[in-house]
Amino acid sequence: MSRSDVLVDADWVAAHGSDPGTVLVEVDEDTSAYDKGHIRGAVKIDWKKDLQDPVRRDFVDKAGFEALLSERGISNDDTVILYGGNNNWFAAYAYWYFRLYGHQNVKLLDGGRKKWELDSRELVTEVPQRPATSYHATDQDTSIRAFRDEVVAAIGNKNLIDVRSPDEFAGRLLAPAHLPQEQAQRGGHVPSARNVPWSKAAEEDGTFKSDDALRTLYAEAGVDFDTDTIAYCRIGERSAHTWFVFHELLGQQNVKNYDGSWTEYGSLVGVPIELGDGA
Amino acid sequence: MSESAQSVQTTAGQAAADGCGAPADAPRVTAAGNQAVVQGTVTQGGSPVSTGYARLLNSGGEFVAEVPLSSDGGFQFFAAPGDWTLRVLAPGGIRAEQGVTAAIGQISRVDVAV
Repeated sequence: MSRSDVLVDADWVAAHGSDPGTVLVEVDEDTSAYDKGHIRGAVKIDWKKDLQDPVRRDFVDKAGFEALLSERGISNDDTVILYGGNNNWFAAYAYWYFRLYGHQNVKLLDGGRKKWELDSRELVTEVPQRPATSYHATDQDTSIRAFRDEVVAAIGNKNLIDVRSPDEFAGRLLAPAHLPQEQAQRGGHVPSARNVPWSKAAEEDGTFKSDDALRTLYAEAGVDFDTDTIAYCRIGERSAHTWFVFHELLGQQNVKNYDGSWTEYGSLVGVPIELGDGA
Repeated sequence: MSESAQSVQTTAGQAAADGCGAPADAPRVTAAGNQAVVQGTVTQGGSPVSTGYARLLNSGGEFVAEVPLSSDGGFQFFAAPGDWTLRVLAPGGIRAEQGVTAAIGQISRVDVAV
């Protein structure tokens, strides 16, 4: 797998975003961003309303994913180009989700909404009308999804990568610094986890760093590329960004995103927690 | 953000969201509660910069958080107590930086003219 299989740049989107068989999808939690302006032709997916089960803490199931994509007018054969705010956190999360349910042709717009905006490219408010499809998803590919027991079992023998900010890793903050800090769970990190904030994989404009820079970054943090890897953050979207780096850009095998992440792990009874800045 | 939205009395707890993507036009808190709040606005020639990003860097210069600017050029962070650098990115290659010190129970303001 190479970068061109999983990433497109803004020039490509400007030239090919409206091609038949290509669907642009903006993925945000704050969908008011889409409503104020989006890339021409893009449909929106709401990270929470569309992708999360409304009752249980889990994703929408296969039937729910099929209904969502059918309603948005996305076919199994379409090339889906995802982009969004927060340096593509939620777009990367949706990418992982599309892969989880077996969509073959899916790519990220490198730099996401931020680079598009900083480059003063066109944003429109016109919402496209796409005819409904009959989308068929596969069963979840759990080879890319980690659950809590796997995380506990991985302590000390797999790469555990905590991609939150250093203050969250150390237990000084419980959420990213743009959100209020009131949470029920304990602070800290999974013992033996390495702290490599997601942001270190991105340039300031939100684009991904080069493969060489990425390999150096993780190697210097003590990641063993010959070992299986689990990435986590607070709710699984920043770690989807790092999962994308490992699995899609660097072509690593056996890389899982732990979407339960710290809001699950830090609330479990009896599991070990480490405090402080780590090694 | 409208004037009326800005005048609503909001504490940090009431502004809580359970995701990670803070809406650009979420009301800014008017009381810090037990949080260390950093707030400010970005202006150019006295007018708000409504397209752009505010990034919070720690004392070592490491990135910690980022929010899009709201329609009135505003931004807000819930930081840990200490010294921070606020960096602004806006279209046209605009970059600006300013230091700010956060403390629990305080709203620390940092207004940036670019």
